[in-house]
Amino acid sequence: MGPHRRFQRLARACLGIAAGLLAAASQAQAADKVAMPKAELGSSALFARDGSLIAVAKQGEHVMLYRSRDEGRHWEPPVVVNVTPEPISADGENRPKVAETSEGALLVSWTRPLAKPYAGEIRLARGIDGGARFDSPITVHRDRQEITHRFESMLTGPANRVYLAWIDKRDLESAKTAGKRYRGAAVYLAMSEDGGQRFQPEIKLADHSCECCRIAGALDADGAPLFLWRHVFEPNERDHMLAKVSRGGTPVSAHRATFDRWKVDGCPHHGPSLAVAPTGVVHAVWFNQAHGAGRVFYGRLREGGVDGQRTVGGERAEHADLALADQRIAIVWKEFDGERTRLHAEVSRDGGATFESRALAVTERASDQPRALRRGGELFAFWRTEREGMRVFPLQ
Amino acid sequence: MMRMIPVLIAVTMLAGTAAAAAPIVPIDRAAARDLGDARRHRGPTIIALWSTECLYCKRNLKLFADMQRRSPNLRVITVATEPWSPALAAPLDRLKILGDRYAYGDDMPEAVAYAIDPQWRGALPHTLFFDGRGGRTAMTGIVDEAAASHALGIAQR
Repeated sequence: MGPHRRFQRLARACLGIAAGLLAAASQAQAADKVAMPKAELGSSALFARDGSLIAVAKQGEHVMLYRSRDEGRHWEPPVVVNVTPEPISADGENRPKVAETSEGALLVSWTRPLAKPYAGEIRLARGIDGGARFDSPITVHRDRQEITHRFESMLTGPANRVYLAWIDKRDLESAKTAGKRYRGAAVYLAMSEDGGQRFQPEIKLADHSCECCRIAGALDADGAPLFLWRHVFEPNERDHMLAKVSRGGTPVSAHRATFDRWKVDGCPHHGPSLAVAPTGVVHAVWFNQAHGAGRVFYGRLREGGVDGQRTVGGERAEHADLALADQRIAIVWKEFDGERTRLHAEVSRDGGATFESRALAVTERASDQPRALRRGGELFAFWRTEREGMRVFPLQ
Repeated sequence: MMRMIPVLIAVTMLAGTAAAAAPIVPIDRAAARDLGDARRHRGPTIIALWSTECLYCKRNLKLFADMQRRSPNLRVITVATEPWSPALAAPLDRLKILGDRYAYGDDMPEAVAYAIDPQWRGALPHTLFFDGRGGRTAMTGIVDEAAASHALGIAQR
């Protein structure tokens, strides 16, 4: 190698290092701006039968269970639900869930993402000693392909029954293998009759669900589970499907529940909520685009139509949730006002005939979706925000 | 000095891979407002909002990468609507997307979304097309090349 060539190579090497340092510096600068790990805000909450407030959320590779005995003013040291760490999904649409069985055991479910993109497993851990510790988590479904089983929703019913419904892509995968087209994903359900210790083999509730919206669940007036999810109706209308399941865990019916006809090949990432009155009236809130604008809607669902459909909140209302106690109904949602995010509620005392508006809170930082909670005859809003933490607001 | 040359070459090779793609930069509301401002785009520009979990987004990004290869003047700016992570680079690298790369940073996600496009309600993919002459078109969902080219004011090849 002549001296001239050596010089050229050395010059190229130096240039390369300079470029590398520049790239590394801008990466470091980028990383520096987000040096603190972002709080993972996706949380679920319920009031347990003893009146205490329970919340579950992800902390790294653990689901943590938090308990407050004074409506969120003070929290006891959290309980680690999964002692062995594992990946956990915790965005607002797909955060860990918590439920209480008819025999008083706490159940925590979550989606464990797997290595392949979009793949996941539905996990469930059962509390012992009143939720002071948890059994090792189980995977709820028999299908163990490394594919989508995600966005689980959990309901508990009488006789120690537990129902989990989730978005499942096994039918899409089979269709792909067979070279066939398949719209969206499917919704599958698994039931346990022993408080979540063992689950029966899962069954399909319906083909062609949307892929990444939370599923809403509620017990019907007769105690049988209802599930409401965003569906892909032909050819690409992302309206909602309402499915009824028998108490014994077999599909009873499934019908289209909303008729806004939002045509989009995309992910709204904005799931519905559901609550059933003792009279059997099915109240729901959902997000859809109608007449070119995305809005939150409230309505009472019946086969073939919606009664009393109207918008909720303003143009940027989002992620509404719903809870009900006899004649009282609460809708909670968040709404960005151009500078800050506000928590709003509407409360009805007459079964949904009239509602009063409430402004509950405001935050200047990131926030989770709000949740509507029930404790006996009382209703509450639960909202976790990055700056203020987990709070509840009574909705008298 | 001579003994250092192999080391320098090795460092260069490592640095070369790091320098191949633009770093992902956290975006705040002020930067987002600039991105969404049609007056700031002097040539055909795509701003593609995407997320790791959004399968439809990958289809759009693949189209935009193809269009970019055929129209070198086309700028493709990506914004991942999820918290900044170095892992966000992999899907963009796989699709060979060239251009500025952003992801949500420390600012509140609602404020960033509102600053990019006040009409956008969070559904993905969401894309802004600028024709470089002050024209701006927003589209949610999968787009086809004809619609994209039309919105960009460029001829479809």
